[in-house]
Amino acid sequence: MTPPTATCPNCGAKIVFKWSSSVQTVCDYCKSVLVRTDIDLQVLGKAADLPPDISPIQINAEGVYRNKSFVVIGRILYEYDQGGWNEWHLMMNDGGSGWLSDAQEEYGVSFSAKPSAGQALPRESQLEVGRELTWDGTTYTLSVITQAYFRGVEGELPFKFWDKSDMVFADLRSSSRKFATLDYSDAEPALYLGEFVEFEDLKLKNLREFEGWS
Amino acid sequence: MNPEPPPGGGPQPRVSGLHCPNCGGSITLRALGQASSVVCEGCGSILDAQDPKLQIIQTFHRIVSSDPPLIPLGTRGKIRGTDYEVIGFERRTITVDLVEYHWHEYILFNPYKGFRYLTEYQGHWNDISICKELPSMSSSFNISPRVNYLGESYQHFQSADANTDFVLGEFPWQVRVGERASVTDYVHPPRVLSGEKMAGEVTWSIGEYVPGRDVWKAFNLSGSPPPAIGVYENEPSPFSANLKAVWIGFAALAFGLLVMMIGFDLFAMNSSVFQGAYRFTSGYPRAEASFVTNTFELGGRPSNVEVTTSTDLQNNWIYLNYALINQDTGQAWDFGREVSFYSGYDSDGSWTEGSRNAAIVVPSVPPGQYYLRIEPEADTVHPPVTYTVEVRRDVPVSSFYGIGFLALLIPAILITWRSASFEKSRWSESDHPHSPIIAEGN
Amino acid sequence: MFRQIYMLYGLLILATVGYAQYNGWSLDTMNQLKNVPKSVRDNPGSYRSVYSGYHHYTGGK
Repeated sequence: MTPPTATCPNCGAKIVFKWSSSVQTVCDYCKSVLVRTDIDLQVLGKAADLPPDISPIQINAEGVYRNKSFVVIGRILYEYDQGGWNEWHLMMNDGGSGWLSDAQEEYGVSFSAKPSAGQALPRESQLEVGRELTWDGTTYTLSVITQAYFRGVEGELPFKFWDKSDMVFADLRSSSRKFATLDYSDAEPALYLGEFVEFEDLKLKNLREFEGWS
Repeated sequence: MNPEPPPGGGPQPRVSGLHCPNCGGSITLRALGQASSVVCEGCGSILDAQDPKLQIIQTFHRIVSSDPPLIPLGTRGKIRGTDYEVIGFERRTITVDLVEYHWHEYILFNPYKGFRYLTEYQGHWNDISICKELPSMSSSFNISPRVNYLGESYQHFQSADANTDFVLGEFPWQVRVGERASVTDYVHPPRVLSGEKMAGEVTWSIGEYVPGRDVWKAFNLSGSPPPAIGVYENEPSPFSANLKAVWIGFAALAFGLLVMMIGFDLFAMNSSVFQGAYRFTSGYPRAEASFVTNTFELGGRPSNVEVTTSTDLQNNWIYLNYALINQDTGQAWDFGREVSFYSGYDSDGSWTEGSRNAAIVVPSVPPGQYYLRIEPEADTVHPPVTYTVEVRRDVPVSSFYGIGFLALLIPAILITWRSASFEKSRWSESDHPHSPIIAEGN
Repeated sequence: MFRQIYMLYGLLILATVGYAQYNGWSLDTMNQLKNVPKSVRDNPGSYRSVYSGYHHYTGGK
């Protein structure tokens, strides 16, 4: 793969990868969306201007989840009919990758998961609110199916993610803080398993500041 | 103070300078863009707060309410250590048996922690947040008798359709006047678990009862909160919390009383210091009936003296005037006792009335040499009565323990009764007015 | 709060019961007299004049 430091093929600015496994990044200067290949960086397109930031989370924010510290290195912004939400891409201190979702400041940390062998994820057409699914011994109830739109990207991501149109997400809840998300943005459904967290438990630093609020 | 501007990327200015597309009035956005809808203060239109052009969601003309928010929009207060600003207000109504009941919801916002809610119904307040865990229930959403949430059992209280009939400020969802939600409350005082079903989606929230004065303090409001009327569904009972502790205390105190009783029974002198046998016959003309006994010694500390009279009466009575007299000081205790005993047969079988024996306890008699003066009285003509008199020093008085036990029991019963009537008022407002009263903490 | 008050009250009850028992209190009513002359031992009938409250029992069945 491209070394951790490269130059933007579009504007020549220096591109630094914070996370060695990043597949995609956005040039800080020309906002080109760049994808990493074995040979070089390729320009996918230009990142759209994001709406004014409202989340207290931002790139380079640091925090702790389950005794593992993390740094926020990327972000996907989605929109749906009631508003928007952020999926912040986390670089964990063990080299792994996680997601911190922020939907109206309800926070959840999740990780990409694979169903156990032989267990297929439901197809989009099989989704039904109230349906129960079990992964890793936890039973999840499908609570809402959301039609979402890709709004924009920022920073480093573990996959190529660019210029999607609408996509479907299924949110599943459990009787504990654990939640699951089924992502139908690609041909194959993807599973994320996570946990809702209290803002203060993340011990976040380098947050956005809001005037008049501390 | 530091006059320099904040470093780059510092605080953002508050979102402002927006105008209502309907009336042109200025719109203040307090939730820094996190809200989904906002109500124009000028014309009452509900606008899409996510849309830069503030597209109208619903036109609404009633902007003056007879029921204004008790905490004005924009007021900041501290809840559980976090600052929140009141950004929205709605009035919701349920109709039960043609009677409308209104409650008020205040939407609170903190840019880091997000949204929180305060509800008010007739002076009763609840601090509410959205559940992060899903409650588990035995049957479906609004007919489950109880649900489990975080290891605690919540009892179904009420299910009703709530109608939003007045809105002000900003909301984290696209609020609409007239929107209806099916609301079900489960209670575990001081908490309430509420499920709201709207458009097929159930949102669970967890609330905790807050006294109005605490709300007033948190938001630094002037005046005093409206008085709380009646008992609210999740209002903690001032009695129930004490119920278990009081009964445990009662058991401990009753045990103490028992130990004390056994202790006195074991260690009281309880010694017989005098016994005498006498016979009282009728005679005419009457001789002087009174007589005195030999002196006897009462030892130890000042304590009681029990004088017991035992007779062989049969369908007769005798009255005994006693005086316990200190030979040396002339101090005397004067008392009398009627002893009567009757028995016979009637249609119900045999019966008896009265007793052949009587005992009197003389209080706090100092030690010394004493004698009894006894003067029996009876009918002018009566069969001879044989009686014995026994004097005992320092005897246990069981009635003290009985009175003590009752004195311990009465407050415990009183609080149990108060608790039961509190629970009765609570449940009288529910869908189960006659359900068994389950007191919290018991 | 009620719990503490109740425990305090209960301990007071226990103390009172113990005090009453130790000092030989009684629930029976009686009259106390002072200075009964020693002559009562020789003439018990004279006690009636010492005890001004003396009355003959008139009850019975």
